Amino acid sequence: MNENETYVSKDPFDEKIEQLSPADREKALKVFAEKINREFAVYFNSCVHCGLCADSCHYYLTHQDIQSLPAYKLGLVIGIFKKYFSFMGKNMPGWVGAKSFDNRMVKEWVDSLYGRCSLCGRCSLNCSIGINIAALIRAARGALAAIGLVPPGLQSTIETAVEKGNNMGIKKDDWLETASWLEEELQTEIADPAARIPMDQKDARYFYTINPREAMFFPLSISAVAKLFHAAGESWTLAADSYDVTNYGLYSGDDETAGMLSDRLVQGMAKLGCKTLVLAECGHGFKSNRWEAPEWLSKKYGFEVKSILEVVAGFIREGRIKLDPAKNQEPVTLHDPCNLVRMGGIIEEQRFILRHAVSQFIEMIPNREKNFCCGGGGGQLAMTQFSQRRLKAGGVKAEQIRKTGAKIVATPCHNCIDQLMELNKHYQLDVKIKTVCELAADALVL
Amino acid sequence: MPFVDFKGKKLEVNEEGFLVNSDEWNKEVAVFFALKEDNIANLTDDHWAVINYIREFYLENNLAPMIRKICKTTGFQLKYIYELFPSGPAKGAAKIAGLPKPDGCV
Repeated sequence: MNENETYVSKDPFDEKIEQLSPADREKALKVFAEKINREFAVYFNSCVHCGLCADSCHYYLTHQDIQSLPAYKLGLVIGIFKKYFSFMGKNMPGWVGAKSFDNRMVKEWVDSLYGRCSLCGRCSLNCSIGINIAALIRAARGALAAIGLVPPGLQSTIETAVEKGNNMGIKKDDWLETASWLEEELQTEIADPAARIPMDQKDARYFYTINPREAMFFPLSISAVAKLFHAAGESWTLAADSYDVTNYGLYSGDDETAGMLSDRLVQGMAKLGCKTLVLAECGHGFKSNRWEAPEWLSKKYGFEVKSILEVVAGFIREGRIKLDPAKNQEPVTLHDPCNLVRMGGIIEEQRFILRHAVSQFIEMIPNREKNFCCGGGGGQLAMTQFSQRRLKAGGVKAEQIRKTGAKIVATPCHNCIDQLMELNKHYQLDVKIKTVCELAADALVL
Repeated sequence: MPFVDFKGKKLEVNEEGFLVNSDEWNKEVAVFFALKEDNIANLTDDHWAVINYIREFYLENNLAPMIRKICKTTGFQLKYIYELFPSGPAKGAAKIAGLPKPDGCV
């Protein structure tokens, strides 16, 4: 794709932007205004264009163009804030860099805020002011969502989730059949007919959610978790209806839809009367359902929420499962998903598990909250039109992986896994990509 | 959207290489995609069993089949499907079978 052609393409989505009316743009601005709280207003007035964010961004590092600079992307949003919501911007727009929200600007918002940002939040760590850039870009995305301008692949994934109950449109019978098939396979694998994959088990302690991608195409990660629960003798269940941990409303910026999707898990918990909601290895699902959903829903949860990593680390600490690292001999490195680690606070559990599960564990540099995004976050995997940029931006992660010399990349996020699989192919890394629980399950001593 | 050259004909694909017009698919296109997208130089009978099933399922249901259905119909073990198609059932097998990109984290 020639990026210079951004403004001449005759894509139906671009035509939609060209046909926006002043009323449409006013609607977007109204929604944008509703999202500006005191904290955001301070941020909008704080960027001093120091440029320290440049080298923190995987888009800038790989593309080296001004459009990829976090401060530039944020500047597109600040220009609109100033023009419509500040005294100086309304009266002397040229002095303060205020910009008109015309169709050309809308197009640049879409191209930049959806197309050049994975909402990974790494720029905020390097920001001399501490501006939460990802949150501001997400708020601006929400204004675009209000006028139907969520890019097609992301929008269709949200629609599938809303209409079909999960983001891949899996039918209930197929899900139930898949779960019972996995149960049979597990019983055969460990030669134990007592092994179960419980479904809709009332009053189970743990209510385990999955990323539909697992059931649809990559179910070994479900089997791995089932094996760990079985080995620990823990009470747990899957759900026949509300089981989707994903929430692409986090990426579109549409809080209402995001809240509706997360509320399904709240209802699922109520229906089964479980004690703890356990979120699968899914970065954005963790951020959405652990941290954001109570805000979206304006209510506190009446139950505990954990990542499956916290649960499994607990099993190891309590001596309820035994792992033999000799069972995983190949060198393993770990990719930290932004939404789980930098923005989610789950940092050491995955390391604790891996140190018990593999013989050689090599950290990538940088790691933990300073990690680089794989490039697949922020809805990038769903937005096909930006996929070439996504692959290029993933070059930073590919190089990090290569430098470790590892043969296996573990990562507790299915979204990251998919991007890492593409990077593996594109950059010829010759590694295997696994979830943390898969490695733990492989190391189990039964 | 981009085009790829195939035997003097231009096939429209999306930016990730999924075929845009599903009815342009035929077995020769599958062979071409297999090499280009998943580095599979030779499609064996086992590959075809998976590809043909995915294709038939898609034409009837307008979506890709779950891995469970693929295993059940072909009689192949799960791990064998991943060996056949290193890019996986979606970006490997379904793409070669001429399906559009599925929704979700793929």
